[in-house]
Amino acid sequence: MTEVPTVHGILDDYLKALFDTDKAGALRIVQQALDSGITPESVIFEVVVPGMEQMVGGMISLDTLITLSQHFLASQIAEEVTDRLIPLFASVPEVQGSVVIGTSHGDFHGLGKKIVIGCLRARMFQVTDLGINVAPELFIETALAQKAEVIGISSMMVHTATGPRGPKRVRELMLQQGLEEKLRLVVGGAPYRFHDNLFREVGADAWADTAANAPAVVARLVQEVRS
Amino acid sequence: MMTGMERFGALLTGVPADRVPIACNLLDQGARELGVPLKEYYSRGELVAEGQLRLREKYGYDSLMGMFYSALEAEMLGCRNIVYADDGPPNVGHLVINTPRDIENLCLPEDLEGHPRFRELVTCLGILKRESAGRWPVLGVVTASFTLPAMLMGIGPWMELFLCGDPLLRDRLLELCSQFCSHQIMALREAGADLIVYVNPVASATFITTQKFRELALPWVSRDLEKPGSQGVIFFNGGGRINPILADLKQHTGIGAYYLNPFDDIAEARAILGPEAIIAGAINDIRLIDWTPQEIDREVERIMRAGKQGGGFIFGTLLMPFSIPERNIRALMDAAIRHGNC
Repeated sequence: MTEVPTVHGILDDYLKALFDTDKAGALRIVQQALDSGITPESVIFEVVVPGMEQMVGGMISLDTLITLSQHFLASQIAEEVTDRLIPLFASVPEVQGSVVIGTSHGDFHGLGKKIVIGCLRARMFQVTDLGINVAPELFIETALAQKAEVIGISSMMVHTATGPRGPKRVRELMLQQGLEEKLRLVVGGAPYRFHDNLFREVGADAWADTAANAPAVVARLVQEVRS
Repeated sequence: MMTGMERFGALLTGVPADRVPIACNLLDQGARELGVPLKEYYSRGELVAEGQLRLREKYGYDSLMGMFYSALEAEMLGCRNIVYADDGPPNVGHLVINTPRDIENLCLPEDLEGHPRFRELVTCLGILKRESAGRWPVLGVVTASFTLPAMLMGIGPWMELFLCGDPLLRDRLLELCSQFCSHQIMALREAGADLIVYVNPVASATFITTQKFRELALPWVSRDLEKPGSQGVIFFNGGGRINPILADLKQHTGIGAYYLNPFDDIAEARAILGPEAIIAGAINDIRLIDWTPQEIDREVERIMRAGKQGGGFIFGTLLMPFSIPERNIRALMDAAIRHGNC
């Protein structure tokens, strides 16, 4: 008789594949889990999301530095698998909130944003990706059109994080248009990791120190807007 | 009092210096010294050289940066749009590689030395070398083959290619980038660079695991340096942690100097590298935007104390943000001179 794999065992194998940045291996494990009769919901919420969050959150081992390539792949696979499996869910999952995200004006570095998007989508947030080098006005326009609760701005460079066309301008526009109650602003990226008070200086409501923390931070902000 | 060149020379020969040499990587600030916009500043090698000379004179550090901005290398490989800001380094605004076919079609400039942008860089290096008159080492800067593709295709697609893409395509791209890197090192030396800063953040432990570093990146470090040789080459972290890869670099590449990330532990690096290697310890220069002089002093003292425990040591910065106030650059230099005295 063939032994039915446990979700716990699958998660261990999945984590190992993520740790080795073995995308093909990770996708194979997901397929094997589905083939063995594990539901798409369990695959997402008990394997893919915890795998991504443990990897991206650096919780694999206290003495192991988790690298950006591992973050990137874990998040990318999570996004891909989530997109594929959601239509197979028994019922439509509840959307946790709506986020408009992009890099700040003048910033062409999209990696951090991409990792965060994977984490948010796997946690059932609706994400509108505005890409790189986004004008502050476009963040506001899109957030209003999408009825988003949160704007997320990623910056890789100090001057794009702190400059007059970055998050500071988005905050000014929110103030000018009376959107303070309707919208929250979250930031992330390298400069904030080197300077833990910078998010306040650029006018953000919050920042996420890792992509794995982004869903929790965004969920809190969505809650603030909705309450 | 020793010159910067004598201080760096003392590190290489093991003789005592009067103080720890200081490398302060001010780039865009040169435009402010000259009162010109960044786009104009970087259009001519003469202007960049003048800016660098004024900055060194003003703050008194020990080297001259013969560099414009990182994206210049992408320009030499076909990038058609460089996006300038008023208050920070120019960005790549057009990716040279968007499809696998673009890699197949990628060509190196037939005549690097004749490329208009490289000619400006050569002009800059020549002026720095002449005006230095042997008093301060001129630093030339190159991007390693393993990092250069990130500027040509974006870091996400590059990661995807080297982690799970077509190995033949990946190796073709790396081969071209490596040839470009080697050629540049030799051309920069020819133009007057005394030392070569070899920038390789994508190979750092921030980006890839040690296993992937050994498997994918390390062979290309060796390849980049095979023709030009590793003498006078400084491995620069470029914003990533490098302590976990130092042992492999030391064992396999012959590089003798390592420029750490602010989050790399200096004592740990020294334990890995031994007393012969030169270590540059970097301050977290983003904090210089708003630290007080007292906070700067404390941090410089901490770095110097760790660096002076043994072996050759350089005090350095990463790439100083434009918004650091002048008074804090002066506070940094005062502290580095005071705490760096031997």
